Amino acid sequence: MSPSPVRSAGGLTAVATDLEVRGLRKSYGAVQVLDGVDLSVAAGEVAAVLGPSGCGKSTLLRLLAGLEEPDDGTITLGGEPLRGPSPTHPMVAQGATLFPWLSLRDNLAWGPSAARRSDADAVADELLVATGLTGFADALPRQLSGGMRQRAAIAQVLANRPPVLLLDEPFGALDAQTRLRMHEWLRGLLAERPTTVVLVTHDVEEALLLGDRLALLGRRPSRVIESSRISFGAERGRATLRDPRFVELKVQVLERVLAS
Amino acid sequence: MAEHTAPGPDDPGGLDEREPVITPSGRPRRRRRRLLGLVVPALLVTVWALASAAGWVSPRLLPSPGRVVEAGWAFVAGGGGATLPGVTPFDGAAGRHVGASVGRWLVAFALAVAVGVPLGAAIGLSRRTAELLDPLVQALRSIPITAWLPIALVWFGLGEGAARYLVFVGALFPIVIATADGASRVPRALVDGAVMLGTRRRDLGRKVYLPAALPAIVTGLRLGLTLGWMSVIVGELTGTTSGVGAMMWAAREVGRLDHIIVGMATFALVGLTGDLILRAAARPFVAWSDR
Repeated sequence: MSPSPVRSAGGLTAVATDLEVRGLRKSYGAVQVLDGVDLSVAAGEVAAVLGPSGCGKSTLLRLLAGLEEPDDGTITLGGEPLRGPSPTHPMVAQGATLFPWLSLRDNLAWGPSAARRSDADAVADELLVATGLTGFADALPRQLSGGMRQRAAIAQVLANRPPVLLLDEPFGALDAQTRLRMHEWLRGLLAERPTTVVLVTHDVEEALLLGDRLALLGRRPSRVIESSRISFGAERGRATLRDPRFVELKVQVLERVLAS
Repeated sequence: MAEHTAPGPDDPGGLDEREPVITPSGRPRRRRRRLLGLVVPALLVTVWALASAAGWVSPRLLPSPGRVVEAGWAFVAGGGGATLPGVTPFDGAAGRHVGASVGRWLVAFALAVAVGVPLGAAIGLSRRTAELLDPLVQALRSIPITAWLPIALVWFGLGEGAARYLVFVGALFPIVIATADGASRVPRALVDGAVMLGTRRRDLGRKVYLPAALPAIVTGLRLGLTLGWMSVIVGELTGTTSGVGAMMWAAREVGRLDHIIVGMATFALVGLTGDLILRAAARPFVAWSDR
């Protein structure tokens, strides 16, 4: 699948890229974690990866981020083989990795500054608006709440306009109320900046609210045992949670996760 | 870019209304805490003054606070005409002695920083270097500073070189150990995060490891500064004729306990001042790690 250029509202061109994973294997010593994972994510699609605890969801994401080497298999982004960690496919994990000694504004400007872009400050200002944190530009990360830090961490990597974004249970540490608001925020953000996303989560509701595709991993050593499109419609928000079809789908998926 | 759907944190319909904790100014409480720290020293001086006035302790073993204050004044302002054995003056010689001690302290401390920080960073960041050097560092740091004195005298002879060497040894190990500890504890996620944001590998030391490890390094510098200062008196056993320690050794020969106590108070005052200056200088860089 070819890259699909999209234009963000701010005029910044982002290019969502398709992601292909073939026969991915990974072991730690005698423990085999992944055993031939295949996954295709179209450009601009959000793939939610669900699976039982300890099945290797986070390992898969670290491999996709280039932070670890697979024992076997291939990962391609837009047809190009993946080569180590890079701003083109950053990962945001549960514990937001903001730099604690820098202000929020400097954290958001880090990526563009590292790329020696002259518009680093303008990008940071734009992301402060996008995260609703303009009043906290000079605050240190520890002065922000968990939800604010997660928003900032996602915005920080989006500053580099990555074609692929990897999210490892990014809202797992937040309470249910904040998590729901974060889902709405992220959906809005991705609507403006189309990006190919792989979202690892243990939360079925989160997977169904955010994902366009659902990939279900089996028990360790795991592989994708089911990959299907979520055809629930683009407009998903807190009202969706009360929709009987959504509730039924959630129960079905939960049963499949438990059965896996 | 268009206004996003996420309202600000102050907006009740937005994200995180329960938002951040703004720390109130702690000035009045801090002032009260500082005053509280003076209570016990004030009590001890009162008991000391009462014991001296009542004759419970011999002035030869412990001169009265008044006598010490007089000696202290003479040390700073001169006028008493007292000269200690050898070529070591006392009256009006505070500047000379403090200047000499502080000079050898700072030179040796700067050298300890120049050696200790890179050495500690190497141990903290490289497992191979840690395996190679850490056992030696742990063994050497267990040697009391006084045990280095004979070898310092053999290597450097009497005087300045030996004194500086002993202060250097006193300051070095806390700096090495704290830096190694700080560097080894830099979260992997921060380093990975920086790489995924496009930071070049060669910039990671300056941009990630150094700032992340800085609170631990500053703690090591503070310990090194204090232990280096505590080593000054041992260094001044090496035949130096100036320095607070040299003055105290000369005072001991003639049994001038008031001069010795003035020297001890000077050590406390200068050491405390040095630590306060270092903390103030480091504060802008490590304030983020305050609890």
